[in-house]
Order: sequence, then structure tokens, then C-alpha cells
Amino acid sequence: MIDALVSLGHGFGVALTPMNLLFIFIGVCLGQLIGALPGLGPSAGMALLLPITFGIPPATAIMMLAGIMYGGMYGGTLTSVLVNVPGEAASVMTAVDGHKLAKQGRAGAALSVSAIGSFLAGVAAVTALVFVTPPLAEFALSFSSPEYFLLAALGITATASIGAGSPIKAILMAVFGLMIALVGTDPILGSARLTFGITELLDGIDFLPVAIGIFGIAEVLASLERSYDSEPIKTRLRDMWLSAKDWTECRIAILRGGTLGFFIGLMPGAGPTVAAILAYVTEKRFSRHPERFGNGALDGVAAAESANNSAAHGALIPMLALGIPGSASTAVLLAALVLQGIRPGPTLLVEQADLVWGLIASMFIGNIILLILNLPLAPAFASLLRIPYEYLAPGILVISLVGAYATTLSLFSVGLTLFFGMVGYLMMKADLPRAPVVLAVVLAQLMETSLRQSLMLSEGSLSIFVQRPLSAILLLLVIGSLLLPVMSMLTRRRAERRMRDETPISIATK
Amino acid sequence: MYKIGTFSTRFSRRLMMLGAVSATAALMLASPTALAQKAPNGPIEITSGTSPGGTPDVLMRRAAKILNEEKIITNPIVVQNRTGGSWMVAANWVLNKKGDENTVLTIAQPILTTPITTGQPTIYDKLTPISMFIQGDLLIAVQPNSQAKNFKEFIDLAKQRERGIKVAGAQAGSTDHMVTGLVEKAGGVKLNYVPFDGGGAAASAFLGGNVDMIVLPPSEALPLIKSNKAKVLAVLSESRRTEPEFKDVPTAKEQGYDIIWGQSWGLAGPPDMDPALVKFWDDAIQKLVATDAWKAMVKEMFLRSEVVPASQAKEHMAKLHKEHLALLSDLGLAK
Repeated sequence: MIDALVSLGHGFGVALTPMNLLFIFIGVCLGQLIGALPGLGPSAGMALLLPITFGIPPATAIMMLAGIMYGGMYGGTLTSVLVNVPGEAASVMTAVDGHKLAKQGRAGAALSVSAIGSFLAGVAAVTALVFVTPPLAEFALSFSSPEYFLLAALGITATASIGAGSPIKAILMAVFGLMIALVGTDPILGSARLTFGITELLDGIDFLPVAIGIFGIAEVLASLERSYDSEPIKTRLRDMWLSAKDWTECRIAILRGGTLGFFIGLMPGAGPTVAAILAYVTEKRFSRHPERFGNGALDGVAAAESANNSAAHGALIPMLALGIPGSASTAVLLAALVLQGIRPGPTLLVEQADLVWGLIASMFIGNIILLILNLPLAPAFASLLRIPYEYLAPGILVISLVGAYATTLSLFSVGLTLFFGMVGYLMMKADLPRAPVVLAVVLAQLMETSLRQSLMLSEGSLSIFVQRPLSAILLLLVIGSLLLPVMSMLTRRRAERRMRDETPISIATK
Repeated sequence: MYKIGTFSTRFSRRLMMLGAVSATAALMLASPTALAQKAPNGPIEITSGTSPGGTPDVLMRRAAKILNEEKIITNPIVVQNRTGGSWMVAANWVLNKKGDENTVLTIAQPILTTPITTGQPTIYDKLTPISMFIQGDLLIAVQPNSQAKNFKEFIDLAKQRERGIKVAGAQAGSTDHMVTGLVEKAGGVKLNYVPFDGGGAAASAFLGGNVDMIVLPPSEALPLIKSNKAKVLAVLSESRRTEPEFKDVPTAKEQGYDIIWGQSWGLAGPPDMDPALVKFWDDAIQKLVATDAWKAMVKEMFLRSEVVPASQAKEHMAKLHKEHLALLSDLGLAK
């Protein structure tokens, strides 16, 4: 305990030099920007900047790159809330409710609660990093393929409860999402599936063209239909800020989302996106007003945003303690270490104490910078929505299509995005829920590979899902999440029937 | 400057088959015609098919840095990651740059294996070979509490039950998969190979105790050995490594199993590359591997740097292709 504090103090000594402070600042600002641009996620942004870090000292480089990683978690919120296009994968849940809030004139509140939630969860996660990295890293390893499969399955089954509509429609749409994810190269055997000889499809259909199309483009198409009678969203100044009531509603959500996000983040294999999705559906279970989820729930946004930031920090635990990348972003951080000639692995904490503790200290500083950046910016960006939608729509289309192009640097993704825009538009017309499709595309790969790995590990026996204590618990949760909607439906029916049965009796006795 | 003498002493078996004698002769014969040399104008792109930080990417970035810093090549060199389709995106990028002077492709195993496993036309023979100049050894590691104390005991363990030993590795057709195939063949056993999304995921499955065996390069194995998280049973090279950290690791061959396999990396140009440019690169690489900075990097990453010059690169690639094709066919992965 004392050792950790002494080391942390030493880390601050490393991080607080003018040069390192400057690079932390550059890192978090870039992260904010990269996160806000759809298409360019934090890991891609970090990878782009990796060669530049070649000439600067290792500790400085790592601090800057890590800044991009968690800065991206703050930035992704912006486009999700304002234009319903997730800036990066981890903000996908925010796009669902954040944009609904923006339409209700509450963009400012959504953005500020995200910033505050991200900050609190981030700082708490770094504090956990200071004290419990080695034991948590060992815990993270107890998760393997069977647990990942069940986590993904939990996410997919929980989609049934997202949105106010029918759970059956939601499950059907999730299956549609899984079908989209089947296109590409088989993750285990490496053979081509449903690609119809199109080389561009060999890498599969990325989540971003689907999300940008189904959320962003479809929204624009649908709103253009009613452009004549649309009024600019009224954003009153007093709605820019969180009210006391909002805060009481969200603080538990931040705590729950942050904690859950941290634990999911530290499993190598899961990551901020899975964390945000699961935090959102958990919050819905605990919420006193679940009907608001999908229609603009501030606590849903708070939970998802806190979770993705704490997960981004949690993913550093297996990376620092064991040299295992927990997410795409930490893989780039590891790459940066290797490029600098530092060998990551279980010995890193001891051999590179300066670097590790400097990095941890830098994350406290970076999170504070991001909070200071984001709080005043929230109302400023929210007031953008005062512009009438006719003028905003072309801008949104441009951002969406440029984002789609940036994912693969090919026009094929742009075409794909437009295609999914049409699909999304038709889904809106047919009153089909759109979020489950996107979530299923996000989770499908993890779900498929981990299921097949599990069955290979167990030589085909399904018992692997009950023999491991952690997966047994998760399995119960999955079954529960499937049974709950059915149970509530049954009890509702029974109540209705009893009502119907009782009525004639009461007439008869009269 | 041309360190022909030194590299013939530590030639790996694959290279040996080419014949060191003919190598020297070929180089001498080639030299009068290849005197003409021309440098490209403007920045040079080294195309890499992995994301930043993948071994070939790291190697090329280091090479680029040294080439520029030591003024061996004065054009700015950019390592560009064109990921996707198991190196096919990168390969196609360069294949479409016929005769281009400013682009070269990093050659790594997938350039050979992806066409084989996906049933596409070969790529290596359409490029202009420049040089293969980095080689990496591979180690077989098991859980620290494994009953096997050496490679023979490990094979005996595997014989007890078919597919009883679980191996974690990268995607189907990867190096790890091929090594597993070689172990199966040499030991007359069947192992249970489970592919993960890349080396990091495979390593976490191994560290979590979910599998029994993993294939590791020395640089990744070292931290695991030091912290007693893995036990190394064999190195798959012709002879033992000489570093103090690895000199006690016996080869598979000396334990009676003829398994020799490794990784190698190099550069190739687009189709129809000007021979004068090939000469330019060939010379640059000879100078590169002689620098202290390069030698230090090779040592630090536990690699080897034995140059197969441009004059033999074509033959060498064909040889590698044949070996990979044979092995992948054995594994039932060739299409």
C-alpha cells in the first residue's frame, strides 16, 4: 500500500515535467478529436501516430498514446449525442439514448453527464490500477473463451430488452445482425464465407459502416421527409447543465457502470464496447424507469460512458502486469513499447518501474485535463443543434461518409454505408428496432470465435460452460435474461386472463 | 563489407540447401552486370501487412530508421501499414504498382501461406525479389507445472491420449499451426490446435492455464521464463542459441525429433522493378546489416540476420514456397 503510494509519487515526478505534460495534453486533445470523428477510432488513431513516437523517449510516447486511448472515450460521445453516429465503437449505446436526449433539447445534459461519468470512472479505475494491478491481472486470466462466449451471449440476449418495442422483433433483428457478421473470412478455418467472390468482403463487414448507415444515414433520410414542418431543436440554456435531480439519478449509474466497465475492461478479449453495452443493459435492469431506456435515459448514457472509460483504463492491467493486450488500443501501446525496444511481459512492472508509474500518474493528469476541456465544451457543442435540421443534414451526411471512408480507405465502405442507410430507413418505416442489429454486429465475432474455441478446448462437450465456476455464473445470468421477459409476459397474460375471468363472475353474482 | 564468410557458418538448414558455395559464386557472377545502380527519387514506402507493432512492422521500422540515420538511404522512408486479408491488401497494393520506384513490400510468411490456404494464385513469384535478411527462431513452451521435463517426455504425454494436448496459436495456417503440424508428424501424435485471434490472445489463453502448449519466439518467451510462467522444452533451430538466456535450451533435433522451422522476413519490389533499383536495395541491405545499430537490434530481439542477396532471393523464395505448400498440404489446409 505504502509502496504503491511511494511509487505513484515517483510516477508523478516523471509525468510532471513540462515536456511530458505537453505530450499528455497533445495526446488527450488528439484523442478527443479522433474519438469524435466517426470511422477513426482511438486504436486506429494511435496506430497512425505510432511512427511519430519513434523519436521521443519511451515514457513520453506511452503517456501520449494512452492519452489518445482514453481521450477517445470522451470524444466518442460527442458525435453519438449530436448526430446519432457513434464516434467510435464504444459509444454505440450513447448513440441510442444520447441522440434521443438531444432531440428533447437535453444534449448539454447528456454531454456533461458523460464527461463527469467518464472522469469519475477513469480516476477510480486508475486508482485501482495503483493498488491492485498484480492480483487483478491474475483474475483477468481466469476468463477465457467460454466466459467470453457467455458475455457476448448475455449482450445479445439483453438486446431483447433494449428499446420499448417487442422483444421478439428485437431478437429477430439481433439475428439479422449476426447474419451480417457471418460475411467474411471464417475466424477459425480461414475460409471465405458469403463473400460471393468480392475481395472487399473477405475482411467481413465492419461494424462502422453498419452503425453509421443504420443510425446516422437512416436518421437523416427519415428526417428529410418531414423537413418542411421540422423546427430546430429547442435548446434552452438551463437544460445545458445537469439539474440536481439529474445528478441524483445518475450518480449510482456512474458507480455501477464504472465498476462493471472496469472488470470487463480488464479481461483480455472483451473491451470498452462490450463494457458499455453490458453496463447499459444492467442499468436498465436496475433503473426505476426502464421504459425511458431507448427513448432518452440520462442514466443509461451515464452508465455506458462511465463503463467505456473505466474499461479503457482497466485494459491496461493485463497489459502492464502480463504483457497481454486487452483491447485493440492496448495492443498498439504494447507495439509502441516493442518499437522503443522495451520487452513487455510479466517483468515490465519491475524492470520499467519509471515508465509504468509515470504512465499511471499521467492518466490522473490526463483525465483532469479532459474534464476541464469537456465541461465548458458541452453547452457550446449542444448549441450547435439550434441550427435548423435542413442545414445540419448535409453536414451529418458528410461526416458519416468521410468516417465510413476512413475505416478502410476504400469507396467500398462508403457504398456499404449507404446500403445500410437504406436498410436502416426501411427498418424505421417498418417499425423495427435498429440498435439490436448494430449490437449483434459488434458482438458477433467475439461470440462466434469464443464459442468455437470453447468447443475445441472441451473437444466438443458443452459441459465446459458449467464446469468452470465463472462461466456457470454467467450461464445463469444468460438464462435469467432470457427468462425474465418471458416470465413478465406470462404474468401479465395471467393477470389479464384473471381480469377477464373475474368480470363475468361478478356479473353473475349480481 | 559483404559478409559472405560469416553467414555461411550459421546458415540455417533451409538456406544451407541452397548451397553456400553456389551463393558466393552466384554473387560474383552477378556483380559485373549489376554494377549499375540507381536511387529512387522522393520518399520510399515500405508496405507492411500487419498493424503497427507486429514483428515484421517493428523490424521494418527499425530498418528504416537505421537506413536513414546512417545515411545509407537518404530518401525519407515511410513504413505504411496496409492491413487486411492476411497480407493480401498489402501484397495487392504493391502488385498493382508495376515498375514503381518508390514502393517495396515487406515479405513475411503470409505472402506465401495466404495464397496457399485460400486457393489464390501465388504472389511471391510475381514480385521482384530483393532480399531476405532477418530470421527468427521458435521455441516450444509448456505450462511450468507440466509433467514433461523435456521434449521426449512431452511427446510421450501426447501419446497417452489422442488430441489430449491443447495448443494455443494464431489463426489457421499461421506459423504456430504449421509448427504444431510438424510436431505431430515428427512425434507421431495428434494434438488439439485451437486458433485464437493472434499471438496476444493465444498467450493469454496459455497464461490462464487453458491450454498445454504454445509456440513462442525467444523475445516473447524470455519474460515468461523469467517469471516462471512457462517452461521451454525445445528450440526448433539447427543448433542451440548462444545467448546465456537460451544456451541451455536444447534443440528438438538433439532430442531426437527432426523439427526445424523458423520465420524469415525480407523485402521485395513490385513486378518489373528496374534491376538498377534492385541493386540499390541489395547494397543498402548489405550496409544495413553491417551497422552496429542493426546488430544491437538483432541481438536485443533474439533474431538472426543472415542475408540472402537479390541474386539468390528468387530461388530462396521458391524453396520456401515449396516447403510451406508441402506442410500446409499435410495439414489439410492447402486449397
